[in-house]
Amino acid sequence: MLEEVTLTIDDVLVKAVKGLSVLDAAIKSGICIPHLCHVPFLSDIGACRLCIVENVGNGKAKITTSCTLRVQEGMVIRANSEKVLKLRKNIAELLVAHAPNSRAIQDIAVRCGVKEVRYPFHNADCVLCGRCVRYCSEMWQANAIGFVGRGKDRHVEYPFGKRPDTCKKCNSCILYCPMSVTPCGEVMKTGEEHLCGKCDSQMTMAEKMPGACVWCETGKSFQCARYA
Amino acid sequence: MSSTNLETILEGRRSQPHQLIEVLQDVQDVYGYIPKDVMGTVAKELGVPLMEVFRAARFYKAFTLKPRGKNVITICTGTACHVRGSNLLIDQVQGQLRVKPGDTTADGLFTVECVNCVGACALGPVVVQNGSYSNHMTPGKLRKAIDKVKREKKEESPHA
Amino acid sequence: MPKIKQAGDLETLQRKIRKAQKKFPKTITICGGTGCQASKAGEVIEKIREVIPKQAFGKDVYIRSTGCHGFCEQGPIMVLEPGNILYCHVTTEDIEEIVAKTIRRGEVIERLLYTDPVSGNKKVKEKDIPFYLAQDRRLLNYNRLVDPGNIDDYIAIGGYMALAKTLGSIKPEAVIEEINASGLRGRGGGGFPTGHKWTECREEPVDEKYVICNADEGDPGAYMDRCLLEGNPHLVIEGLLIGAWAVGARQGYIYVRKEYPLAVKNAKFAIEQARKYGLLGENIFGSGFSFDLEVARGGGAFVCGESTALMASVEGKVGEPRPKDIHTAKEGLWNKPTVLNNVETWANVPSIMLNGASWFAAKGTQGSKGTKIFALTGQVKNTGLVEVAMGTSLHNIVFDIGGGSKNGKAIKAVQTGGPSGGCLPASHFQLPVDFDTLSAAGSMMGSGGMVVMDEGTCMVDVAKYFLNFLQDESCGKCVPCRLGVERMLEIVTDITEGRGTAEHINLLEDLAETVGETSLCGLGKTAPNPVLSTLRYFQDEYMAHINEKHCPAGVCKALIQYAVAAEKCNGCGSCKRACPHGAITGEKKQVHVIDFEACRKCGICIGECKPGAIMVN
Repeated sequence: MLEEVTLTIDDVLVKAVKGLSVLDAAIKSGICIPHLCHVPFLSDIGACRLCIVENVGNGKAKITTSCTLRVQEGMVIRANSEKVLKLRKNIAELLVAHAPNSRAIQDIAVRCGVKEVRYPFHNADCVLCGRCVRYCSEMWQANAIGFVGRGKDRHVEYPFGKRPDTCKKCNSCILYCPMSVTPCGEVMKTGEEHLCGKCDSQMTMAEKMPGACVWCETGKSFQCARYA
Repeated sequence: MSSTNLETILEGRRSQPHQLIEVLQDVQDVYGYIPKDVMGTVAKELGVPLMEVFRAARFYKAFTLKPRGKNVITICTGTACHVRGSNLLIDQVQGQLRVKPGDTTADGLFTVECVNCVGACALGPVVVQNGSYSNHMTPGKLRKAIDKVKREKKEESPHA
Repeated sequence: MPKIKQAGDLETLQRKIRKAQKKFPKTITICGGTGCQASKAGEVIEKIREVIPKQAFGKDVYIRSTGCHGFCEQGPIMVLEPGNILYCHVTTEDIEEIVAKTIRRGEVIERLLYTDPVSGNKKVKEKDIPFYLAQDRRLLNYNRLVDPGNIDDYIAIGGYMALAKTLGSIKPEAVIEEINASGLRGRGGGGFPTGHKWTECREEPVDEKYVICNADEGDPGAYMDRCLLEGNPHLVIEGLLIGAWAVGARQGYIYVRKEYPLAVKNAKFAIEQARKYGLLGENIFGSGFSFDLEVARGGGAFVCGESTALMASVEGKVGEPRPKDIHTAKEGLWNKPTVLNNVETWANVPSIMLNGASWFAAKGTQGSKGTKIFALTGQVKNTGLVEVAMGTSLHNIVFDIGGGSKNGKAIKAVQTGGPSGGCLPASHFQLPVDFDTLSAAGSMMGSGGMVVMDEGTCMVDVAKYFLNFLQDESCGKCVPCRLGVERMLEIVTDITEGRGTAEHINLLEDLAETVGETSLCGLGKTAPNPVLSTLRYFQDEYMAHINEKHCPAGVCKALIQYAVAAEKCNGCGSCKRACPHGAITGEKKQVHVIDFEACRKCGICIGECKPGAIMVN
């Protein structure tokens, strides 16, 4: 018999099995918290910071990622407070300014309420979400790719830049990559990057139903086809 | 010769993944850099995926994947040294040797590095040349020190 | 080396060592710390060791090379007893004279004495030096008395007695009570109550526990830990032993950054010596308690000063921090309960156990007990390590101990807390230095780095410097730190290169809030501090860069010009000869001219110009 706890997320009482993360508990209960690096069957690393929530207790509201926070009895979580929404929007803005050439990132930006991008666009081809790396090491134990380098230099690479024999050629790294689908329309060339948000229906939906992801059903994050 | 060195380094550490960083430290000290084939052996002997060995070698600034030059010039860029003008030292060495910090000159004579504080802050700006510390450095002094090494190299091989 | 099997053995050994030391009527102490080594103290020590045995009185002299005294700018430092005579800037050329005059006849050599830069007076005795007198050197004083390579020196001054007392008669819970009562808070910058951390660890019902000494000291401008570990490693080892007893750990690590090779060497050697005496290993002091230590070397990563990244490094992995929703005291090294404390924190433990919590708490303020070591550097006359009671004001430290401005330029600010801290302007120097007051003012005491800045320092450039540092050292895992710091640096760089706008200030503040609130680890969370504190107190400098495209301090290269002041130039041509970019022209004895296009503002010409004719506009 698995132990269950009861917690509150945005004033909604949620029952969850002990050991589950707050993010998983929220999704199971139909409360969508935007996320990027979380994949249900992979480990959670808290890298994208989109899933941040306020953990209220002892008179303080601590900002932490819901994917790494384990549920506890009586926890009070605010996933959509004014502060959280603002911070989440800023993080999404940083992401889309860095890598606008992805439908997923553009969707997330709209979903998180980004209306303008205040930084000069870069045109990066990787957001370092780590989905590919974790899939390769956790599902296959192939360890064919990994995060190499530090800070600005951090990127995903094969050892010595050469695909090793341990690579199973499963293509999962591409399948789960948010950069693998270009924004609707066309590929954004350097100098032509912009915040998409072209579809009026998207913008309206995002404004009228803040709890729902723009393109997907709850919990499936971007582009349902990205993982079944 | 190299395989005996590696033997000594790996002794008592086989199948102990947590020894990776210490092993790489010793490899760097002995070989002057982390050779590709050594990484492969270390991965096998310690029981660590090659990807992880490669990651560690590329994460920590103490490790280099290419051999260093004969003279390693390390410029301290700590706050106290910065406030006393370490930036000017970097400009000087870049202009004189035409390499960026982290790189080695084409003739293999100099490697220039920046380090974020060697702990001799009262004496800044500090430059370490092959383990020997010099304090209160100025662009002029650094220029002369580098010229001296170049001169000594020329004197060594006058027929070059 | 006979093993010390019980407390009585230690007492006997201490008496024996002290008796042997008394046989030498004369002592020469030479500082062999990293700073003095940079000033060639190694050669001085070698020469003295060569010359003394050849003298008739050679056998009366004890030569001791110690660790860092903390007065690096005066090094190499030599102290001679009897007489407590202090000589500074000693070179190998001075040795013959010192031996002939001072050691043989007790005669003082005037030119080698310390000159107080404030009064201009020469001081003969070490204990009369104002820099030392103004301090409260509870920890640093030991460094003068101890050769880090000789455990006997440490035992002679009372070393390992605190351990003997603790293992003999104080239960682990009582040790933690004492540490709690003392009010000791983490000296690494976090200021977490040490007793609480130990309690958390002790309460875990797990057999395998660890203690770690964080000697990564990555804050540029801070070298207190280097000094303590290099100069008195046994003090730290004793602290770790007591802590391990208190929480129930049997294995510990001292994690030392690679950039401190002398500290690594001395710590390793000290551990070996302690093992030989039986002070590390099985059944210490016959108490049944066993504990051993290992040194782990850092790989050149500032982020490894963060506790979870440090532990990842010890585990043989890449030093990436992980979320700390669960404290490392509960789940740390290999997911086991681990107490990680800073070098200075551990160094305070033996004296608390020997002298009691109230002795320790007698100094300091309500919330910040005890003394703290600061590394006072930058544009002050007396730079070095300063140990004072918590609550001492910035003014006291910068002016009374530091001696005020080095170059005659007005002191503008003091930067504390390294890249996690901030800058406080001179108008705030009356603030007491402790854990909480500086944080309230927008800075942070941090681990003790204190860099003094004068009018010649550009505060926008300082913000840029720290952002650059953090971008270099960030592990890159989380978005706010990796992308946020990059954007902050982009904006501040624009400002220093004349492309700043008023909107940039708002954007910086917005970014700062996001990076500070949502980053995964302490590096990211505190990354905005340098920018925020300089914006708060030096907004006028930012506005000058933005509105007037002018750098008031004359630092930002894109906004300054080097020019020759015609009235001061004597046409000597030194600048022209020294310029590596061929930017200066002029005939002999004629006023020289700098070509603005070719000039790279490298500063070499300014260094060469004797009449000081080259101006920065």
